[in-house]
Amino acid sequence: MSEGLTWTVYDADTMTQAEIYGQVLCDLGEMHPEIVGLSADLAKSTKIGRFGDRFPERFFNAGIAEQNLFGMAAGLAKAGLVPFVSTMAAFASMRAAEQVRTDICYQNLNVKIIATHAGASFGQAGTTHHCTEDIAIMRSFANMCVIVPADGVEMANAVKACISWPGPVYIRIGRGFEPRFYPNEDYGFSIGKAVKVADGTDITLICCGVTVLPCAEAARILKEQEGLSVRVLNMHTIKPLDEKAVEEAIADTRRIITFEEHTVLGGLGSAVADCIAASGKGCAFKKVGISDCFCEVGYPEDLYTHYKLDTDGVIETVREVMKMDFEEDEDWEDEV
Amino acid sequence: MAQATQRELLAARIFLRAVLPVIKVLLTEDPAFKKRFAKVNAKVQFLAKNEPADVGACLVFENGDFRVEQGICNSPDISFVFRNVSRMNAMFAGKPAIPWISGLTKPGLLIKVFSLLMGLMILMPNARPKDPAKRRLKVKMTFYMITTALSQYNKGRDPEMVKWTSRQPERIYQITVDDGIAAYLRVKAGKTKAGRGTYTKRRPFLHMRFNGVEGAFPIVMNDIDMVTAVRQGHLSVEGSPEYGANIGDFMMRIQNLIT
Repeated sequence: MSEGLTWTVYDADTMTQAEIYGQVLCDLGEMHPEIVGLSADLAKSTKIGRFGDRFPERFFNAGIAEQNLFGMAAGLAKAGLVPFVSTMAAFASMRAAEQVRTDICYQNLNVKIIATHAGASFGQAGTTHHCTEDIAIMRSFANMCVIVPADGVEMANAVKACISWPGPVYIRIGRGFEPRFYPNEDYGFSIGKAVKVADGTDITLICCGVTVLPCAEAARILKEQEGLSVRVLNMHTIKPLDEKAVEEAIADTRRIITFEEHTVLGGLGSAVADCIAASGKGCAFKKVGISDCFCEVGYPEDLYTHYKLDTDGVIETVREVMKMDFEEDEDWEDEV
Repeated sequence: MAQATQRELLAARIFLRAVLPVIKVLLTEDPAFKKRFAKVNAKVQFLAKNEPADVGACLVFENGDFRVEQGICNSPDISFVFRNVSRMNAMFAGKPAIPWISGLTKPGLLIKVFSLLMGLMILMPNARPKDPAKRRLKVKMTFYMITTALSQYNKGRDPEMVKWTSRQPERIYQITVDDGIAAYLRVKAGKTKAGRGTYTKRRPFLHMRFNGVEGAFPIVMNDIDMVTAVRQGHLSVEGSPEYGANIGDFMMRIQNLIT
């Protein structure tokens, strides 16, 4: 890894996304004295506490007061520092939505928000701790960049890359027990650029976060068992969306499914749908995620199965969309 | 009256629906044929007697325009009538098979049609033109014929081909030689359709790109196989090699059927 970071592949096997974040932030803190850390009594849970332990004079606990937390971050950014703010996604995106919008995004301030426990990753904690709306909320704020890493490796890449991204960034991760997807960090991560995990011409699966692994696994199984040629795009950056990758998927495969650990309203699927509509081209399309409802309460793995975000669910949806007709069939007898 | 076997009917289907239509390439790209048929208005029927229904197709010439109408047309200017489907297939395969010919009162047209049928012999495996223009013509006609033949092989319900196409979603099998020679086979859940040019609505599932006419010619002549062509740099294949091999197998089956 560049910039002399000490994070290794071995760590990705034993460390959660949040732990890797804490480690990477410490290493970045050594190189960038302008980095400061903030949390709202969740330093331990979000792992930004590691940064606080290493740089106590550069770490601030706002207490259980998320609105103040983001107001403070805006002020620090205005003073030329680079605040990394960590709290649970539900609090960052909803309780402090006005401060994120008006204090940070409106002024296009250089604040990096690392939101943990997103989606259904804290499923057993109940609806108050679920966060299935944050992508929709954050991508609606002008100037905000929204990143959903696939695993700890990508988390490290995203944190490193966001340092040089001008303006506010929202990085969304889970509770921390997500399996590793990438064997190492050298796969070409770049903010705003989708990663082609598998190439194919029959259908494209556009996914982010914890859904990348099951999509890749489903593509492999579908190829082996049914001869289907499935493209998988890890759309880690929801905003700015890699529209070129989506347009290529429309032109090349003409069937697209999005998978996200988020409501199907306003998230990755909606961003891709906007792109498809703007292209003016016909395409079979389906959004998979949490439908227009509050997420059930349960263990994350069970919830992923329930919402068809696991490998079997992906395969089932691919089979369904492959049968979907999206344009009037032509006369197959009229042949040259 | 004889009743053709399924295999004979399938071969006739390939000749009438895949081979005869490439006459249009001769008429548009060979200057001599273009000039010869520029002002011809005529219908030429090929017909094989069969039970329960005769089999045939009609070549329609209209002032330089050309099309093939399947079945029996009204008032043809010339008719080639064969005793059975097997004999008609034999004639198209270049084997001796004498038809009953009506229209002998139009010797000028008859001579032109004979010359056209002789021109079609360029598709024969042993026809090895030296003239670069003729080589290009052979490559173009062959790939046009092959893609349509593959589609007709499926529409003729060859069990293996039907099994192969029915389990596929919409896919494009594209062959490209250069800007002027491209053809494709479109497959969708058991249905097939051949087309000329480059399919633009989706990326090909399998794309065979030849590096020009001279690269494609040894393949067309069966001088080298596809693996050798790839190794020698004449051909590049994008997409599933397994499905490429399947296409190659079906081409061989069609060749065996019509030769």
